[in-house]
Amino acid sequence: MSRSTLTRMRGVPRALTLTVVAGALLAVLPWLLSDFMLSLALSCLMFAALAVSWSMFCGPTHYLSLATSAFFGLGAYVTAWGLESMPYGLTVLAGGLVGAAFAALIGVAVLHLRGAYFAVITFGLTELVLHSITYVEKTMFETAGRIISDAPENAVIYWTVLGITVLAVATAILVRASRLGFALAGIGGDEERAQTLGVNARRAKVLAFSLSAFFPGALGAAMAVRWTYIEPMSVFNPFIGFQTVLIAMVGGAQTLLGPIVSSVFFSLLTEFLRLRFPYAFLLVLGILLVVLVLYLPGGLASLFVRRARPHA
Amino acid sequence: MPEALLSARGVSVRFGGLTAVNGVNLDVHTGELVGIIGPNGAGKTTFFHTLSGVLRPTEGRLIVAGDDLTGRAPHVYAAHGVARTFQTPRVFRDMTAADNVRFALEFAGRLRKHGHDAFDDVATILGFLGLAEVAMLPAGALTPARQRLLEIGVALGARPRVLLLDEVAAGLTHTEIDATAQLIRRVRDELGVAVIWIEHAVRVLMNTVERVAVLHQGAKIADGDPRAVAKEAAVIEAYLGEEGDSARVAA
Repeated sequence: MSRSTLTRMRGVPRALTLTVVAGALLAVLPWLLSDFMLSLALSCLMFAALAVSWSMFCGPTHYLSLATSAFFGLGAYVTAWGLESMPYGLTVLAGGLVGAAFAALIGVAVLHLRGAYFAVITFGLTELVLHSITYVEKTMFETAGRIISDAPENAVIYWTVLGITVLAVATAILVRASRLGFALAGIGGDEERAQTLGVNARRAKVLAFSLSAFFPGALGAAMAVRWTYIEPMSVFNPFIGFQTVLIAMVGGAQTLLGPIVSSVFFSLLTEFLRLRFPYAFLLVLGILLVVLVLYLPGGLASLFVRRARPHA
Repeated sequence: MPEALLSARGVSVRFGGLTAVNGVNLDVHTGELVGIIGPNGAGKTTFFHTLSGVLRPTEGRLIVAGDDLTGRAPHVYAAHGVARTFQTPRVFRDMTAADNVRFALEFAGRLRKHGHDAFDDVATILGFLGLAEVAMLPAGALTPARQRLLEIGVALGARPRVLLLDEVAAGLTHTEIDATAQLIRRVRDELGVAVIWIEHAVRVLMNTVERVAVLHQGAKIADGDPRAVAKEAAVIEAYLGEEGDSARVAA
């Protein structure tokens, strides 16, 4: 192991241990919480995993992907199609793999685009997938939606989502410390410079984008059973993608903890606002976003990161 | 003559109707220190872009260490030992100076294990450039002069066989320019790499390099010993004449 590898691996065992311990502690919640509180916890976990996996790629590279809904929806459809012939756990794994494979495919095609172009095309691709699935369902299966029967218990869904979240956080920790993470940071800083220094930028980006899409795919597959009726318009809901970006950016996509804290904050806030102001809650969320982006572009995490770097 | 380490054969670059580089041939061998001069807009930097894979030439071929790399991505050039600096320093501003060098070592540097180990770790490279005390500062916070030095350090981290330096002395004081010229010679001597150096400060460049190529309106109009080149009529007219005083340049 080279010296630079050792420097980068510093703190990784501790972070991984903390992640696993936190996961183990959260695993007891189904025995402690009411159904309502458990579904709130589930929502926190889901958005934490979505935001962490989004930040895995988009944080260091400064890409703005709106494709999260596409991966999530594809995962949900894997469950909708596969749950009759496969155990639940396997559909979750398959959903993740389908998400990753789809991301690799579109990554090869569109990752050379930057900024608004990339954001728009990933949003467009989500719509394309939505309508493709609608078309396939209508022409081949003559159905508009699917009913999910024999869904697993809420606790099983919770533990599955918790497992995905722990895996997403652990992966994010390892990616940050790895050569891939270093390459992504260089690509985010100056992609062409990184290339002239030996980084195969295209390969690194496709790999990381695909890896980061495993989690929304798996989450879509895991969460699909929460709805008894699945239709493209609901599982490819662009709101999931926007909410993910919002949470990650508000939390600070450059950091690991920022998106996690912010997802809990936002899930609770959304729920609170939805209950208190059923009509105005999106309005309040929107205003909050504007304020945060204007006055805290580095995210909430930037409040806690020391501005001054250690001097030699 | 042994096979050239880097060979540009009939390289042309056209942007629409404008020919920026026009059929340039250049062979550079191991251990050579070659300067490229030319007036503003002569195509020097564009030519460098083709040598490092940043820009694909419209015509012509690029052969590095015997392999035809024409049209390949920049990281392939890096893997073949071509390292470069940019005219405007392009360091990773958010990373520390040490991490900038580490980045080069980790990617291009790791792809290229070879005999020269004079500069194979971060501390040695930063120490050599006099940047040891700013190692942990973010590169974006360094002075422009230090960012230029760091650019060289990053290129060294890539463990080059051919080092392309694009105006590394621009904006420096006379003393700093002389120091940079010495540094470049030392790099060449200690690593035995080929160095191609573009510079506007012609005086120092002419005194440092053993061979100079002159670009004018995209074409190579002279190539050889600096003293001989400075006397060529075409060069004086195209380049030195424009600056007014050929004696100063050749001095």
